[in-house]
Amino acid sequence: MTNTYYEFFCPVKVIAGKAALEHIPYELTGRAARRPMIITDKGVRAAGLLDPVIMACEESGLDIISIYDDVPPDSSTTVVRDIAAIYREKSCDSIIAIGGGSAIDTGKAVNILVSEGGTDIAEYTGAGLIKHPLKPFFVVPTTAGTGSEVTSVAVITDEKKGIKLPFSSSFLLPDAAVIDPRMTLTLPAHITAATAMDAMTHGIESFTCMAKNPLSDAYATSAIRKVSESLLHVMDNPKDTDGRLALAQASTMAGIAFSNSMVGLVHSLGHATGALCHLPHGLCMSVYLPYVLEYNLETIRGPLGELLLYLEGPEVYAITPAERRAEASIAAVRKLRDALYKRCELPRTLRETGKVNESQLDQIAEMALDDGSIMFNPKEVTLADVRAVLNNAWG
Amino acid sequence: MVIKRFQPIASRAKRQYVALMFQVMGRALQAVSEVDQEVQQEAQALPEGFLFEMMVMPDGASLVVEHVGDGRLHYHGSSAPRPVNVSIRFKHITHAFLVLSFQEKTSVAFANDRMLVDGDVSYAVRMTRVLNRLEAFILPRFVATRAIKEYPKNLHLPEKLISAAQIYLKVATHFIQTARA
Ligand SMILES: [Fe+2]
Repeated sequence: MTNTYYEFFCPVKVIAGKAALEHIPYELTGRAARRPMIITDKGVRAAGLLDPVIMACEESGLDIISIYDDVPPDSSTTVVRDIAAIYREKSCDSIIAIGGGSAIDTGKAVNILVSEGGTDIAEYTGAGLIKHPLKPFFVVPTTAGTGSEVTSVAVITDEKKGIKLPFSSSFLLPDAAVIDPRMTLTLPAHITAATAMDAMTHGIESFTCMAKNPLSDAYATSAIRKVSESLLHVMDNPKDTDGRLALAQASTMAGIAFSNSMVGLVHSLGHATGALCHLPHGLCMSVYLPYVLEYNLETIRGPLGELLLYLEGPEVYAITPAERRAEASIAAVRKLRDALYKRCELPRTLRETGKVNESQLDQIAEMALDDGSIMFNPKEVTLADVRAVLNNAWG
Repeated sequence: MVIKRFQPIASRAKRQYVALMFQVMGRALQAVSEVDQEVQQEAQALPEGFLFEMMVMPDGASLVVEHVGDGRLHYHGSSAPRPVNVSIRFKHITHAFLVLSFQEKTSVAFANDRMLVDGDVSYAVRMTRVLNRLEAFILPRFVATRAIKEYPKNLHLPEKLISAAQIYLKVATHFIQTARA
């Protein structure tokens, strides 16, 4: 018998599809919550995305007690402390986070403070410090990519110390994730593309990295298929509700996959590049994905070849000889990136981003090597390896 | 009945083996940090006084090393002089045994949720690289490839033999010193 062993956990209720937002009041009362607080950012509010949520609650006789709409793109310990103070002052009893990764992470962190007590979120950093269920918490993602609605981690910046604090506990998971196509309908083209490539990367990395397992594999392949089938269609028809819903579901499925089987070198490089060059996460994923797959190729030939079925469909899979499928999968990823470049100039190389200096590559390499996700990369990565991948990705 | 009586003995053997391996690894970590440049380079990025612990939950065997500066690691035995900075915790003695008897690679054990990391993850990643380097050094190649993801390319046989001999020697003298003290 082999040493095969894995864990899989996802207790989040997924509420997805047409008029999903209108289920929020019912879910709130199901957890005896009467005084919800909304945590979101200015962009979401300006796009009018709060209106259907507020309307849905009012129609059920449920008032939103407080709305905090000033979450910055990189949420901080001060922001979390301020929101927790408002929550307490207004005697709220539940949280609805509406937005992308930052608003969702902020919601998770605020929930720790208002449930566990205290004003300094830094006290709860690390893994396993939270031992009790937290306040009722609901998440409505407005981008289709991060998968934060189904992950048990949050990252908050400590401005004073200039470091990022990770929080990890299964109690951070929301009671429900509400996936409504109305929330992503107005997403601009380049954000649609970048976030979908993040979801694609979550799927591909969880299927090819060290902690892959049969359950996360099922979610990963479904997510990859949905992104492959829908992304270009949505780029050409941004108002297509079905396509938008497909991408949003893909993002959630990829989130479930990677939160159980982790990600690898694409994310190590992406985290480092994001921190040093302030590039959006999804964009970094799209840039690095094919170069890292090429680097890992010989170690992941089997699983990567299998992915051709989900990337290109059964016809292409069937006519491609088994020993060429892994390469064909990488080619499919490149083809998709070219198509996105044509539609919204989503960069394919570091040079094309215009935000990275060649002199920064050494620093990116060193930082990537210390990133936690590198532990799950199927190949043991050295500094020279990372540097070589960066050279290729430079363009 | 017979089985019931055997289990504690097997379990005790596992416990003793893990405790012994922690001692060997602790001493070897100190020794390898004195002779190997690559390990020194890795360790240099750790703050001085940085404490690293590997332990079996809930309060089983453990090993504690400290970075005392210049990339040198000091083995503290099984207890730390103050709260540790990074702790790698095996969820159960069986998981520690799998890894320390080289039946499961460290990286696989991580991937398999066999252990938890508490503390700064980037330092934990760095310490994993040091452990990999150590395992490649002190183990015969066929065992080492089982213990780590990849056998380092820059570890040639003569270098390995000399280094390994040096490390064994250092471990041995360290053992004797401790026994005497
Ligand atoms: Fe990601």
